Amino acid sequence: MLRSPEWHMMIVWYFFLGGIAGGAYFTAAIADNFGGKKDRDVIRIGYFLSLLLVVLCGILLILDLGVPTRFLNMMGFFTFWNPMSIGAWMLGVFGLFAFVSSALSLWGSDSMVRFRRIWSLIGTITGFFLASYTGVLLSNSAQPFWSDARVMGALFLASGASTGMAAISLLMYLSGEAAGEGFEKVKRADRFAMIFELLVLALFLALLGSAAAPLTTGHMAPLFWVGLVIVGLVVPLVLDLVGAGLKVPAVVPAVLVLIGGFIMRYVIIMANA
Amino acid sequence: MARTLAMFTDTSLCIGCRACQVACKQWNELPLEQPEWTGSYQNHAHFTDKTYRLVRFVEKPKENGELAWLLMSDVCKHCAQAGCLEACPTGAIYRTEYGTVNINQDVCNGCRYCVSSCPFGVVAFNHDTGRANKCTFCNDRIHNNLGPACAKTCPTDSIQFGYRDELAAKAEKRVAKLKEMGHKDAQLYGVDTNGPLGGLNAFFLLLDRPSTYNLPEKPLLPQRNVLADSLLSVGSALLVGVGAVMAFRERGGKGGGHA
Repeated sequence: MLRSPEWHMMIVWYFFLGGIAGGAYFTAAIADNFGGKKDRDVIRIGYFLSLLLVVLCGILLILDLGVPTRFLNMMGFFTFWNPMSIGAWMLGVFGLFAFVSSALSLWGSDSMVRFRRIWSLIGTITGFFLASYTGVLLSNSAQPFWSDARVMGALFLASGASTGMAAISLLMYLSGEAAGEGFEKVKRADRFAMIFELLVLALFLALLGSAAAPLTTGHMAPLFWVGLVIVGLVVPLVLDLVGAGLKVPAVVPAVLVLIGGFIMRYVIIMANA
Repeated sequence: MARTLAMFTDTSLCIGCRACQVACKQWNELPLEQPEWTGSYQNHAHFTDKTYRLVRFVEKPKENGELAWLLMSDVCKHCAQAGCLEACPTGAIYRTEYGTVNINQDVCNGCRYCVSSCPFGVVAFNHDTGRANKCTFCNDRIHNNLGPACAKTCPTDSIQFGYRDELAAKAEKRVAKLKEMGHKDAQLYGVDTNGPLGGLNAFFLLLDRPSTYNLPEKPLLPQRNVLADSLLSVGSALLVGVGAVMAFRERGGKGGGHA
């Protein structure tokens, strides 16, 4: 007989937004290092979005504690094999990276560009950590189904990258920059991330086998199959590949990917709520 | 480090009086709880943040169709490799010099990772204090050379307290005796320090398979896959990274433009 940690909506939001933060920062860093002049908006939006979200993430995590005023207790202790411990530290470290990258993307002089690029590549490691450690944290508990899910961290990372790119696309669309070349590149990168995510999800289910029942056959099943697999992955992929002919606004796949990313965190966490 | 202490719960001697449950409540000043209907004499269905000792009343059908009682006073196992302790990010959960596992209420901040990491579902979140609670092995008593309240009060010696090595030897003798008496399923649970979780410092003598008592047959340390799962995440990161680089790379070489 096991006991649920009673992680509910605040943790669902934290996992979801943490994934976007890591994914958006990574996208911006790649655009920064490998893109060109026209990707400037991708870079700025990505860095600033990750900074905003990492602050929100910190607030959500603190509020979810039983004794929120004791959040610093996690900072007085470090165990390198404990996802929760490293995660709390990395949230802070990633916040620092996001802050400096954001500041340099607006006010940095030309001589600082080189520094920002290297800084952001290193920061990407912490961003990826934020996006994926939450999965490793769940898969290293004693809970049914979570503890059997070997590729949960890998899945959360793929979803984080994909939702991060989708969030950048959405913001570019809203700020009227959807016509630019940067927007197309983000979409191209997201296409790859979505295909990869779908493959990891298939591997996730295959490795889980019957242990995946809480997702695939329980009361979460409609949300999982329709909300995540169809609406959140298959439809945006199809729209992305053939959407030009269907005259669907370019922002629709991005919104669907974000909805799918939220549903993924929701069904997985609430399966043991 | 002092010699490891242990509790040995011999379920073959338990009469289901629940004196241990009451003694635990009294000594640890645990408040009253609403009783729950479990369909049996057992109350509560499981440990709570205010119930650290719990007598389980297991009804097992006999061959003639009647029901037999399997009684078991359950408690935190104080595992040698404790999932809760490994999960704690604040250091609130610690191992005492006696080998027991305790939660420092002045440090716990209520993140609840320990709750999700106990293979036995022992650690419980206390909504009143916002912290995690579980059996303390009567930490205050053992530091004053008194046994835990439950063991002290048990009228049949079903719960025994002492040095681990001595109790383990006792338990081995007892299980051999019971087998001789015809209890063919009698077995020890958690006594082997080379077994699951490095042995339990609260170990049991059961009269049936562990699963009959709602115990995992082979409890596993939740943290055993941290490295593998992390490496899989790194692999995922590299693949996603390659895809993004390909999408953003300027055709005809690296773009040198300033952002």
